[in-house]
Amino acid sequence: MNRHHPKNETLAEFAAGTLDEGRAVVVAAHLAMCGECRAVIAALEEAGGQMLDAIAPVAMSEGASERALARLDLASLDLARLDNEAAAPSARATASATHPVWQPEQKTLLGYDLGPWRWVAPGLHYRAVKTPADAARVFMLKAVPGLRIPQHRHTGTELTCVLAGAFIHEGGRYAAGDCDDADWEDGHSPVIDDGEECICLVAMQGQIKLTGVVGRLIQPLIRI
Amino acid sequence: MHDKRTQSGLPAKTPAILARLIVAIAVRQDRDAFAALFDHFAPRIKSFLMRSGVPAAAAEELAQDAMLTVWRKAAQYDPCRAGASAWIFTIARNLRIDSARREQCGKVLELEMVGDADPPSPPDAELLGAEREARVRAALRSLSDDQRRVVRLSFFEGKAHGDIAAELELPLGTVKSRIRLAMNRLRELLGDLT
Repeated sequence: MNRHHPKNETLAEFAAGTLDEGRAVVVAAHLAMCGECRAVIAALEEAGGQMLDAIAPVAMSEGASERALARLDLASLDLARLDNEAAAPSARATASATHPVWQPEQKTLLGYDLGPWRWVAPGLHYRAVKTPADAARVFMLKAVPGLRIPQHRHTGTELTCVLAGAFIHEGGRYAAGDCDDADWEDGHSPVIDDGEECICLVAMQGQIKLTGVVGRLIQPLIRI
Repeated sequence: MHDKRTQSGLPAKTPAILARLIVAIAVRQDRDAFAALFDHFAPRIKSFLMRSGVPAAAAEELAQDAMLTVWRKAAQYDPCRAGASAWIFTIARNLRIDSARREQCGKVLELEMVGDADPPSPPDAELLGAEREARVRAALRSLSDDQRRVVRLSFFEGKAHGDIAAELELPLGTVKSRIRLAMNRLRELLGDLT
């Protein structure tokens, strides 16, 4: 069971479809691994359905219903094609209650292309997740056990989902499936837990500001 | 605010009836069921999209697309997992995301119905679905009018917090804290459903 979840407002924005695409990818990764938050989303979608039912309708134009019925025949022809597509394996289509979204050797993540792993600093690699330019930047970070990330803060929001391994910082221990949706305004300094390498999915707006003395020595981090 | 009778004078469609109409499309491509669903939902989807800022003509087209999606995907609908209106809300919401992102020439992350990847419903799922429906209704009703208004504007109509502040002539901080409190309250009330 996950211990760290996105904020309620973040889940609500996700359910409303108003969360920016970058952060929506991170929430989608968390949802794949968290039945509890999927139930919250289902309840929010139910709320959306009830609001849709209660809305004052706006009349469709004359003949709209006949036009819709006429389009159905074309739609039925397409159905066979859609069924074939549905049969193809998909990153999302695993039929288990919770499932990992990341396996080593995967070339895409939740349908997005991935860049190559790039070295950032000793023990730390970075990999771009190719979302549209206007969204928050999304990337994967891979860190070796025991690595201490220098104290830093963010000028914008940061949303993180752990895909494998675990890290520990001021907010507690974050293991696979956990989501870090806190504003670490005073900065945070994560340490990778012992045992296995930690892979995170991060959506970040703004820049990283290193705050510690050591941090200034590790300038390459600024490239993230 | 529920209209107890439709324009044709027939009794309002209950959640169970609406769900059965979708299943009828899935099982036997029932065109009458589709027409009944269209009459109920198309004008509501159009209204929903217009409130989200989509111009009337585009909202009409998107409502047509949404109903076509209902026809195409009816077989994927699981009445135990989601109410008919909730399922159709997700379809309309995805179209709203698509149309907003197309304006930005972005790629579309398809938000699937969250239950899509889940295993088949357990036997008691229908009961759970009905309970969720009742609990959500009660939870929404328990919000204060102020909270319900900001939830409707932000969550349902998809408005930015700044726009809501301008519309309600409230400070941005008040809007943000109302939304946060309302969402926390909903989560609390829905807590043991999860």
